Amino acid sequence: MHVLLGLVRPDTGQLEIAGRRVDLAGYSPADALRAGVGMVHQHSTLVPAMTVPENIAFGAVGGSALFRRARVRARVARLAEQYALDVPLDVPVAQLSVGQRQRAEILRTLDRGARVIVLDEPTAALTPGETQALFPGLRRLRDGGSAIVFISHKLEEIEGLADRVAVLRRGVLVAVKGAREADARELGSLMLGRDLPGLVRPPALPREEGAPAFALRDLEAPGLREASRLKGVTLAVQAGEIVGVAGIDGNGQRELEEVLAGVRPITAGRIEVSGRLVPPSVRRLRAAGVSHLSGERERGGLVAGFTIAENLILKSSYDDRRFVRGGLLDREAARRYARDVMQRFGIKPADPDLDIATLSGGNAQKVAVARELDSRPRVLVAVNPTRGLDVGSARFVNEQLLALRSLGGAVLLVSTELDEVLFLADRVVALVEGCVVPVPRDADRAALGAILLSGAPQSAVA
Amino acid sequence: MTTRQAASAALWPVLSVVLALGMLALLLLLLGYAPLPALWALASGAFGSSAAWTATLLKASPLLFTGLAVALSFRCGVWNIGAEGQLYAGALAATAVATRLLPGAPAVVLTPLLSLAGAAGGALLAAIAGVLRAARGVSEVISTILLNFVAIQAVALAVHGPLQEASRAYPQSDALPAAALLPAFGRLHLGIAIAVALAFAVQLLIFRTALGFRMRAVGLSPVAARFAGISPERHALVSISIAGALAGLAGAFEVAGVTERLYEGLSPGYGYTAIAVALLARLNPLATLPAALFFGALEAGAGAMQRSAGVPSVVTQIVQGLVILVFVAIPFEARQAPLPGASIDGAA
Repeated sequence: MHVLLGLVRPDTGQLEIAGRRVDLAGYSPADALRAGVGMVHQHSTLVPAMTVPENIAFGAVGGSALFRRARVRARVARLAEQYALDVPLDVPVAQLSVGQRQRAEILRTLDRGARVIVLDEPTAALTPGETQALFPGLRRLRDGGSAIVFISHKLEEIEGLADRVAVLRRGVLVAVKGAREADARELGSLMLGRDLPGLVRPPALPREEGAPAFALRDLEAPGLREASRLKGVTLAVQAGEIVGVAGIDGNGQRELEEVLAGVRPITAGRIEVSGRLVPPSVRRLRAAGVSHLSGERERGGLVAGFTIAENLILKSSYDDRRFVRGGLLDREAARRYARDVMQRFGIKPADPDLDIATLSGGNAQKVAVARELDSRPRVLVAVNPTRGLDVGSARFVNEQLLALRSLGGAVLLVSTELDEVLFLADRVVALVEGCVVPVPRDADRAALGAILLSGAPQSAVA
Repeated sequence: MTTRQAASAALWPVLSVVLALGMLALLLLLLGYAPLPALWALASGAFGSSAAWTATLLKASPLLFTGLAVALSFRCGVWNIGAEGQLYAGALAATAVATRLLPGAPAVVLTPLLSLAGAAGGALLAAIAGVLRAARGVSEVISTILLNFVAIQAVALAVHGPLQEASRAYPQSDALPAAALLPAFGRLHLGIAIAVALAFAVQLLIFRTALGFRMRAVGLSPVAARFAGISPERHALVSISIAGALAGLAGAFEVAGVTERLYEGLSPGYGYTAIAVALLARLNPLATLPAALFFGALEAGAGAMQRSAGVPSVVTQIVQGLVILVFVAIPFEARQAPLPGASIDGAA
């Protein structure tokens, strides 16, 4: 979409707007606007202190130097009526609801003469009622001859609105279908699928009786949004078991990760390791044998600007006597340790003094994996651990998860990659709108996808 | 760091100094002065005689303390603009101890105590900004700037009121008792040696201790630090407090080593020039030694340039600005190239 808007220049390929080939060499956002492409961003780009007509007049192309309030207002009012996009015109945007702001943004793109309108997850912040109110206007735009690109991962919206559906996955166009021919299960499967070449999954270890290695009981924690607030998460992972938590971003994954990493306070519930209560702080969890691995660099605790050796000892800077004595850092010991670890985990280039920021994403993630697994943790919380990795590095990470399982580690794999979850995990649950939803033992990718995309959960027991 | 790496790390700062001096020459030409004699007067005013060296070192000393303070807090991602206020707070506390609390104490007691008071005064003022940031998310840029005004006005209040000299003639404190004055070699007081020693100490702190390691982690990536169990708020508070102590020492030693009294306008903006010192030193404590010397020399040489070449001394303030402008205008990668913070060795 950024290519279409002139924000990103493509390496190859062509762009045609209304049958005319666009010269991509010098294609800028201004050109996109002139060609009739407009975007409604996920987050409002309106000036809160201004009214809607002021916002629309402000920055308009080819507008007069004077701001003729009455004229702009009349123009906007006409557009609003024409397309059934009802918005108060005389109060500051700050007082408008999210849905009203979105309609104002659509009006702005229309006012600029847009014939191709891109809506980036327009319903993410809307209530169901507001979502329903948005659709008639969009249909009228379509009937008036506009092309609308509606980005969403909510299937019922796509079924209710779209004429044709295109599925994008990791930058690849996987399918284009007429909306009538596509069914939800198939789309879900197309959206979330991926093959895992060449991994061998060793048989599960025999179960031991007794308390689970890792247990979450009725965890509640505030969320970035209402949908992602954790609402009583209960889960148990046995030693030698991988439990997969499947889900789509924004359903509490981030909050669950932060709670289990010890950086987000909980409001209720408890975390237990081998039956013992562990206070949810980073260092207490780590001391209890809970490791945390994330596919996102900063959340994985990697510090760009630090060397490989410094990153490897990052979580040991308080009390690890191998590297810290009398408050002083033993840098030679850190280097020796780093060389040893890099050799054992096959990380190249094996220079402990390299800035981690100079490594590829795959090698940086290997450093993070090495740090988390070298301590032989009892529990590993892995969150999208292969996100953004090349195939080889992703395979390395998955092999390490399986190896830990074989050694009797308990692995909680929180991931949006359904194939990965289904292949690696001994048991799968879904995290939907902050609740744990059970997944049948024999569920395949399509069945799981349907659960994730279905919206509200039925009950919250796993 | 190898010699070659150190040389290339020093390249850009040195180059920006040279460029800025070149621009000064051009400016002098435009103003109708002969550039070479003026620059010569500047240089000899800073380094040309033992008196010139003394003046330079006396100016460099507070710049070194405050420059170290800025470098230490910037390394932890704390944008401490408050070294000036922290210097004043230190001067105020030291003066209060020397003229009011223990005026009769012997030197062995008074010198350490007034140093301690200076450090504590600066640290307390700085800690206000650290606590505000940790507890309420208040930007330390804003709070430290505002606290500068508080400290400067507190000094004004003190020298018009409780700390004013007994004769009440001027808004200044009594002269410090002889036992409070720093041991000195000529005019070169002990504080200069302490500043140099502290440059090594801060280098050690940042690059060799676990605390410094965590502070650098917070400075480079607060999110990653938090996930590693390192509290950004707590380390920001610690770093700005130590920085405040360093700047407070500058104030205490100004009073006890140079001016021998407290008065308004004690500092010609050392705490602000300190930001330039720290940036030119690329936040490397050891590199603040030459950086502080350079800016000290500019201050000291400016007067000589005015006397013997008739060039207004304010021209050197333009150079101070130019050095930083030239330095930050250098492409980011070139400035960062072998970023010392990226190495486990630091600049050692």
